[in-house]
Amino acid sequence: MTRKALKIWFPWVLGVWMIVVIVAAFFYAPPAQGFKGESSRIVFFHVPQAWVAVLAFCVNLVASVRYLRRRDPLDDARAAAAARLGLVFSVLATITGSLFARVMWGSFWNWDPREVSIAILLLVYAAYFALREMVPDEERRSTLSAAYAVLAFVTMPFLIFVVPRIYWSLHPDTIISASGQLRFEMESRMRQVFFGSLMGFTGLFAWLYTLDVRLARVRMSRARREEV
Amino acid sequence: MPNPESLIWVAAVTTVIWVGLFVYCIALDRRVRRLEEGQ
Amino acid sequence: MLGKEVTAELRSRVALNAIGLFALTTLVAVAYQIGPYQIAEEDRPHLLAALLWIILFFAATSGLARVFVKEEDSHTAKTLRLAARPTAVFVGKYLFNLVLLLALYDVIVPLFCALMGYAVAGVPGLVMVMVGGAVALAATSTIVAAIISRASGSSTLFAIMSVPLVLPLLVFLIRGTRDAAGSGDLQPVLASLRAIVAYAGVTLITSVGLFRVVWND
Repeated sequence: MTRKALKIWFPWVLGVWMIVVIVAAFFYAPPAQGFKGESSRIVFFHVPQAWVAVLAFCVNLVASVRYLRRRDPLDDARAAAAARLGLVFSVLATITGSLFARVMWGSFWNWDPREVSIAILLLVYAAYFALREMVPDEERRSTLSAAYAVLAFVTMPFLIFVVPRIYWSLHPDTIISASGQLRFEMESRMRQVFFGSLMGFTGLFAWLYTLDVRLARVRMSRARREEV
Repeated sequence: MPNPESLIWVAAVTTVIWVGLFVYCIALDRRVRRLEEGQ
Repeated sequence: MLGKEVTAELRSRVALNAIGLFALTTLVAVAYQIGPYQIAEEDRPHLLAALLWIILFFAATSGLARVFVKEEDSHTAKTLRLAARPTAVFVGKYLFNLVLLLALYDVIVPLFCALMGYAVAGVPGLVMVMVGGAVALAATSTIVAAIISRASGSSTLFAIMSVPLVLPLLVFLIRGTRDAAGSGDLQPVLASLRAIVAYAGVTLITSVGLFRVVWND
């Protein structure tokens, strides 16, 4: 399979795949036990969005570290591309999570540690771009945002692993039922749709990320040629 | 509790949103490819 | 480096004033608004701990954000870059910030407890949490201040960047304070302290590494 051919048909396959996933999420998979009505279906979209937000964070970290090492502007473009998508998906994940909370527990925000983590991830992305906005010089912008990305990445584990342990004893009732993921016993059809959705969203990230980086590459080589 | 009509509604809206986004992204894809080939 | 910082600060007292005034005014505002109201007994420890740390954190923001910007402003930054190794600069600034925070806590915490009627059962525990908090907050504040000094230098940017990083730390600090205030038993406080120390360690090590890149850009 040539790269060119892949570039052309991958998006279309992805497009159809997602439509199948959407239809399957609503009509093929059964609703889950213990969830209000059909609300469990949102998990097929919410969890993959959160996963992509975290994936984007990791891609951003790798690109940031590489930039700090090699100072290749393409690495900065990669970091920014990943962060952009990360921001979008963390917004989506927060919104879908909030809608789910509204249906399940009657209010849009419940201080579930997972919800808080995704909201903080959102804040990190927002801060990342706020920083970038404030630095006109390209090289400096790349260096500073890469540094911030590393700093943020290093503090994240505390949020994700340590805080829930503390929150559990603070708000027992909300949390235990809120971790739908833990009690989301998936029978085979649900599992199929869930993993299908996960793959679809990851594919979406891969496509859009690659597109962003390709565009950056084109712009950079164009700028270089104009200098000559 | 499960209302088949409302489920179809939500599924339809979701699909429309996705198709809209997808078409936009395909347009972007085309634009990038044209820029790359124009090199 | 630390000596130079302290002398410069004592001469101008900018940061001291900013941080002290901010903390005092916020404290008075909070005490005035909330003081007269009865907070339910079971909510008190947590609520008061949270309020205290919000005051301390934002006071830190107002006072520490400009610790590198003032160098850029007075054009002493270039000299500093030539004269000292980056790590030395960082350590100097960090220790200064640490001292500043500890001084702040020394004043504000007792005042807060007096004004808000916060009865603290386990003082040693509280002291440990405060020290741990200062060590950790000084670390993030120093590196973020360094980053923003090379950007726009605005305190708003400092706050925007610090908050997501510091939120987990605040959770540990509030919980630790609450547990220390609630009883003389050190056990529960130790759990939070471990998290605070781990956070501080990780942040310090990363900051020292990143500072070199940020400073010499």
